[in-house]
Amino acid sequence: MRNLLLKLRRRRSMERDVAAELAFHRDMAAAQGNPIPMGNTAVVQEQARDLWRFTFVENLWRDIVYGARSLRRSPALVITALLSLGLGIGVNTGIFSMAAEFLLSEPSVTDARSVVSVRLGGNSHVKKEAVEFVRASGLFQDVVGENEEAYINWNDGAETRQISAVLLTKNYFTTLGVPVAQGRGILPQDPNEVAVLGDHFWRTRLGGDPAVVGRAIRLEGRPYTVVGILPKSFRSLIGFGYAPDVFVPSYRDDTILAIYARLKPGMTIGQARAGLVAVAQRLDKAMSAPFRYAEGIQVSAAGGFDRIKSETEMQTVGLFFAMLLIVVGLVLTIACVNVASLLLARGSARRQELAIRLSLGAGRGRLVQQLLVETALLSLLGVGFGLVLREVLAAAVEEIQLPVPIPIRLHLTLDWRVTLYAMLLASFATVACGLLPAWRSVRQSIAPSLPREGRMRLQRGLVVAQLALSLIVLTAGFLFLRNLWRSNAISPGFDVLHTIYADVNLPPQEYKEVARKRVYVAQALRELTALPGIESAAAARVVPFTAGTRFMTDLKLADTGKTVHAFFYWNAVSPDYFRTMSIPIESGQTFQTGGDDDARPAIVNRTFAQRYLMDRDPLGRVFRYGEAKTPYMVVGIVGGTKNLSIGEEDQPQLYEDLARIDNDRARVQFVVSSSTPPGMQLQAVRAALRRAEPNAGLEVATLYSSIGLAFLPSQVGAALLGGIGVLGLMLATMGLYGVMVYSVSRRTREIGVRLALGADRRDIAFMVLASASKLILIGSAAGLLCAFFLMKPLAMFLVPGLRPGDPVTFVAVAALLAIAGLAAAWGPARRAAAVDPMTSLRYE
Amino acid sequence: MAKSDSPMLLQGTLDLLILHALQRGALHGYSIAQTIHLLSDQALKVEEGSLYPALYRLELDGAIAAQWGVSENNRKAKYYEITKRGKKLLAAEQETWSRLSLGVQRVLARQP
Repeated sequence: MRNLLLKLRRRRSMERDVAAELAFHRDMAAAQGNPIPMGNTAVVQEQARDLWRFTFVENLWRDIVYGARSLRRSPALVITALLSLGLGIGVNTGIFSMAAEFLLSEPSVTDARSVVSVRLGGNSHVKKEAVEFVRASGLFQDVVGENEEAYINWNDGAETRQISAVLLTKNYFTTLGVPVAQGRGILPQDPNEVAVLGDHFWRTRLGGDPAVVGRAIRLEGRPYTVVGILPKSFRSLIGFGYAPDVFVPSYRDDTILAIYARLKPGMTIGQARAGLVAVAQRLDKAMSAPFRYAEGIQVSAAGGFDRIKSETEMQTVGLFFAMLLIVVGLVLTIACVNVASLLLARGSARRQELAIRLSLGAGRGRLVQQLLVETALLSLLGVGFGLVLREVLAAAVEEIQLPVPIPIRLHLTLDWRVTLYAMLLASFATVACGLLPAWRSVRQSIAPSLPREGRMRLQRGLVVAQLALSLIVLTAGFLFLRNLWRSNAISPGFDVLHTIYADVNLPPQEYKEVARKRVYVAQALRELTALPGIESAAAARVVPFTAGTRFMTDLKLADTGKTVHAFFYWNAVSPDYFRTMSIPIESGQTFQTGGDDDARPAIVNRTFAQRYLMDRDPLGRVFRYGEAKTPYMVVGIVGGTKNLSIGEEDQPQLYEDLARIDNDRARVQFVVSSSTPPGMQLQAVRAALRRAEPNAGLEVATLYSSIGLAFLPSQVGAALLGGIGVLGLMLATMGLYGVMVYSVSRRTREIGVRLALGADRRDIAFMVLASASKLILIGSAAGLLCAFFLMKPLAMFLVPGLRPGDPVTFVAVAALLAIAGLAAAWGPARRAAAVDPMTSLRYE
Repeated sequence: MAKSDSPMLLQGTLDLLILHALQRGALHGYSIAQTIHLLSDQALKVEEGSLYPALYRLELDGAIAAQWGVSENNRKAKYYEITKRGKKLLAAEQETWSRLSLGVQRVLARQP
């Protein structure tokens, strides 16, 4: 440090000082007649200069100026590098932005690191009283609860719609410090009827009118005062771009809430967990629940990288992005190789320049530095273009409306993480593009007698590597395309094409009693089946792919007395559900009205029967599960359906009669089977449901469009990796084309001689194609070998039945690469065949 | 560059000699060279080509400090002075040197 200061201070006067000092020395020596030898003044000055000045920086600046000047003379190189590196870096930073948004982003709260997510008894959501209990325990600085996936009815004056809402405890905004763009957050002393709006809802549904703050909107039939509007950049606690429409205080006593807590200063997650066990044990004594609060306690970071460690679904997403980043990294490598071969070609043209500089005494290191600086300039240009490209990609991705039931708004902004990553990529690109050609050029200039064929071998080697890399990338892309085809071909187990789906949110105040809900469901089903062209209609607690309720519990079998630990998807449906959804009833029958109350009827799917009931004839067996006092009797066995995603394995399912369960939810879903195209029936279905309850929030769509969520993973995978694969192939063929053009131009004389000696033009073209084929063949072989091993871990992202090692993929990809490669070589081959022997012999 | 009558200095020993010469007080470059010359009974001659770069390096390292002053014959001259850091360095180098020269002497005193 002192060193640096000294340098800065002395820099200016250094030259003068050294000269004066040496002059003094000399005069003294002369005056005393002293024969001390003089030495070389210039060398002393030079050495002093090296010591005192920022030689490195000054040389660097000179290199930059020189490099920029020499690049200006070769626009073709600059444009190729700009496009190749720009595409590569653009895609890389784009994918990285998404990964950062999904995995690393922190929720919009103050000091996100001290906010933790708390789970009691293994439950993501618990009763309000339990939240209050933890809060009152004083273990944390404060505790909030939210139900983040709620729906609420909003009446815009003309129609009632369902909007997504977060129901929260009133201390939510003050404790977490959630920022608001306008107005204020909800305060603990506020009444229940206040709301904070999400930016997107406010803009799209309320016209972005700032005067809306302080006014009332109608939610659940009651006026709510809008107190604030969230900023556009708001990130919710659960992340993944979830952007709810409205935040309101939780207004029902039975709403279950996810717990978030702010740690006391200095408290670690481990301490919090230990303290929470004691609190939960007291809670178990104070309140009864079907589970024990003190078991399965989890305290984990609410956002950022720490969250990945604690949540398994985050890890899958993380692995997916890691794979994507590797694949796009390969694409960038391909792009770098393109630039490297261009630089190699340029290096041979500059050999003379370098040789002269070397012979004038330039150090080898200095020359390599000079060449690397040029490459760094190219990389920086690439980064510039890449970041522009990233903005375009990000804007496009942010605009995409994902077919999911919840509003998603991603914020793919250019933050410090992305910028840092781009800089890392630039350094990687500089080294990957520049080091080999620079070293090569300098070495060649020292030993100019090196055989020229050697360099061509290096370029061919690079192209082979490029082709191999692109084959790996293509294989991944093709695998995910096949995955998409495969998952579209998988039957979900029910009829998607002729079914209409309706999601009804009843006004909760008027539908508190279960009986009223039953009356409504019966009334709605009557209205629906009366419609012309409707074959049948049914109600369900949940429709597959829109949500799912999983149970893990013990089944106590009445006849054998055995207890089986069972895991299954649970649903409650009206009797016509199976007919409406075209789910086959394999034995037994559907629910019947009336009947005795000794045992409640249950219908299970084949997998359930096979897994848990197969020791006897499953039909008619009686069992108890969970808390229920009354036993269940199996009255029917049906075919299975998928539950959450199309790629999942068959899971056990259990259905209860919707009319018999103690339905606590104000939300009912309907499925309607139509003999005419379902899209044309939507209006009629909506009208029928309005007649049944005009104040209910209502969403009606074809089942096909509303279960998009199930196909999303395979679609996203196919779109991303397919696109990346094509990009990789494009860059690699560009590289092959470049090398073939270069090799043909170098062999022009040889080709001329061959033609003059009577070779057929077709033979010449064939010769070029053959040398290209050789490169493609070696590249493919190397690529296939690597791909075979590298694709194995991808199995976790693919639907069952599609193996990554399936030879079909490899054959198809190799064929694609061969076609693209030969197409790239076609131009140079024709050019070779068109060589005029006379001109070419005069060429050199 | 070594003349036949003045042996070339071992790498690093010049620093040691300069620091030693500066122990008695501030000197300018020429008198440093002279001091070394005289103290060595005229066996060692320090060229300005090696003296000044060594002085600049030592200054940058903080072993010596430089200041412009007026010489005995009333001319502007740059005076060098040993610093605390330089004294420590001198002690360390002296120690190293004596061990080295002792070792070399022992080797040469015995028949292999």
